[in-house]
Amino acid sequence: MSFLKTSVWAAFLLFSFYAALILSLLTAFEGKRFWEILLSPDTLFSIRLSLTTATLSTFLAVSFGLPAAYALSRKNFFGKKVVDTILELPLIMSPVALGAALLIFFNTRSGEAIQSRGILFVFEFPGIVLAQFATIAGLATRLMKTALDEITPRYEAVARSLGSSAWQAFWRITFPLAFRGLLSAGILCWAKAVGEFGATITLSGTMAFKTEAMPTAIFMALASANIPKTVILILILAGIGLSALYAVRLLDRRPRAL
Amino acid sequence: MIQISDLSLAAGNFRIDHLNLELQEGVFNILLGPTGSGKTLLLESVIGLRPLKKGRLVLGGKEIQDLPPEKRGIAYLPQDLALFPHLTVRENLDYGLRAQGRISAEDENHLGLLIEALKIGHLLERYPQGLSGGEKQRTALGRALAASPRLILLDEPLSALDPSLKSEIQQLLLSLQRTLGFTALYVTHDLEEAYLLGDTIAVLIDGRIEQRGRRQDVFLRPKTAKVARFLGFRNLFSGEVRPLGPGREGVTIAIWGKEVILPKEQAAEDFAPGEKVILYLRPEEVLVLREGKPIKEALRPNILEGNVIRTLDRGIYQWVLFKPFGQDMDGLEIHLPNYVFRNLSIREGQPIRVAMRKESFWVIPENRK
Repeated sequence: MSFLKTSVWAAFLLFSFYAALILSLLTAFEGKRFWEILLSPDTLFSIRLSLTTATLSTFLAVSFGLPAAYALSRKNFFGKKVVDTILELPLIMSPVALGAALLIFFNTRSGEAIQSRGILFVFEFPGIVLAQFATIAGLATRLMKTALDEITPRYEAVARSLGSSAWQAFWRITFPLAFRGLLSAGILCWAKAVGEFGATITLSGTMAFKTEAMPTAIFMALASANIPKTVILILILAGIGLSALYAVRLLDRRPRAL
Repeated sequence: MIQISDLSLAAGNFRIDHLNLELQEGVFNILLGPTGSGKTLLLESVIGLRPLKKGRLVLGGKEIQDLPPEKRGIAYLPQDLALFPHLTVRENLDYGLRAQGRISAEDENHLGLLIEALKIGHLLERYPQGLSGGEKQRTALGRALAASPRLILLDEPLSALDPSLKSEIQQLLLSLQRTLGFTALYVTHDLEEAYLLGDTIAVLIDGRIEQRGRRQDVFLRPKTAKVARFLGFRNLFSGEVRPLGPGREGVTIAIWGKEVILPKEQAAEDFAPGEKVILYLRPEEVLVLREGKPIKEALRPNILEGNVIRTLDRGIYQWVLFKPFGQDMDGLEIHLPNYVFRNLSIREGQPIRVAMRKESFWVIPENRK
């Protein structure tokens, strides 16, 4: 078999593996209960909570990640490689470990000081946002750096020589040119935040109508052996995630300005 | 006058130390140098993209080395042009005016004249990716000139063009410069381009300005061996300065077992007896002597006999490698007009006699730092 055919077969096998997993869900799918479970107050709360926290955490990750990505893309500074490596930590570290680290932090003096000044994180809504932020911020920075790397710094150099400040050159030239890449990065991070479980459950727990986001709701439904509800929640979560990924593909298909 | 004084900067292991350069206003100043000589580094420091370790930049009587790029009044045209792909040609052209908040009727008028001179009026609503190579060059040039900068820096913008387009844009650059009178610093490693465009030429090699002057001076009278080698001079021979006889003027060089006496104007500087020098001989100035024909008295002291080692048809002239008898040297390159080559029926291995006019020599110091 030729190398190309072998690689096509490998791709097909991988696809089949994931397709089989999704199809296996259908064996326990109860269509009649779909709308009942979807529209139940606890499911709607979980969906709303997941979408809200994921949007907030993505907003924060992009807000902090974009300047960081710009610095890593454009500047050489002391300790750049160390910063770069630390930013990848969330990509290789277990989310549970990340959540545990956050939980332990809030038991230190600094953590307690933060909580005592009115921002409660442990077992609270902000905790979900923080857990998701901790999981996706590194990824967001990495993806946005890749998007910025594609835009030659000479555009900014020319813009500045023509009279733009560094800030104006970024917003008028680099940002619009990198926009699709940055938006793709945001959507991917948002999808990952919606599905985040390990760090969230460790820091925020599983309180119904308080911290029970979608992945936590799936875990709780499975733990109580409610398989039809588990399946429907998984399908909803998969639907949200796949829609986001498809949106990213659509962005890639549009003709580029470059 | 634009002055770069005592400029020092570093990038990795490469350094530029105590560089001085004066640019003339209203002309094409060429910064010529081989790849890796520090041209782009110097350019980036002038624009303000790279901090100086030391030095002063004076433009229009004002020190600008501490100003950010947007306050310097220096427009930059990089090698890849960097036209903004998400903006139309019109938006690219007036980017500088908008960035500087200039919307006066005078600016609009200047932009209109520029669009007319560059013949890009029909392209204004198009995006850069739909333009031909020449149209992109014209647009980038227009964008750089639209806000009437005090200096325009061009970093090898024509290096990727095919010869005919290159020639067209070079002509356009020259005519625009003559019409608008802008001051340009044009960086290139292309000798032909430097000679064509340059009113003044500065040769940068290994982070040092080796020579600066009018193009004829730089190309005909290189001051150092480094410049001569960079300019492609091949007939470079080591010699030694000898004392002049009483009552004589000029410079005496011991070379090829004889003493060649040259007028003072043929030496890059004053040399002391005993000093090691490099003698350059212009290959197109060497005469091949025809047997039986009388020889002018002035040529008699500078005649060499030897063999033709190789010949090569270079199209517009014939290249001949000549080796004098009894001399330990690689050979002397001679460029002969095609008709002379034909008339003399020169063949490889043939013994010939050549004569060198005094005016065809140029004496350069050896290993001068």
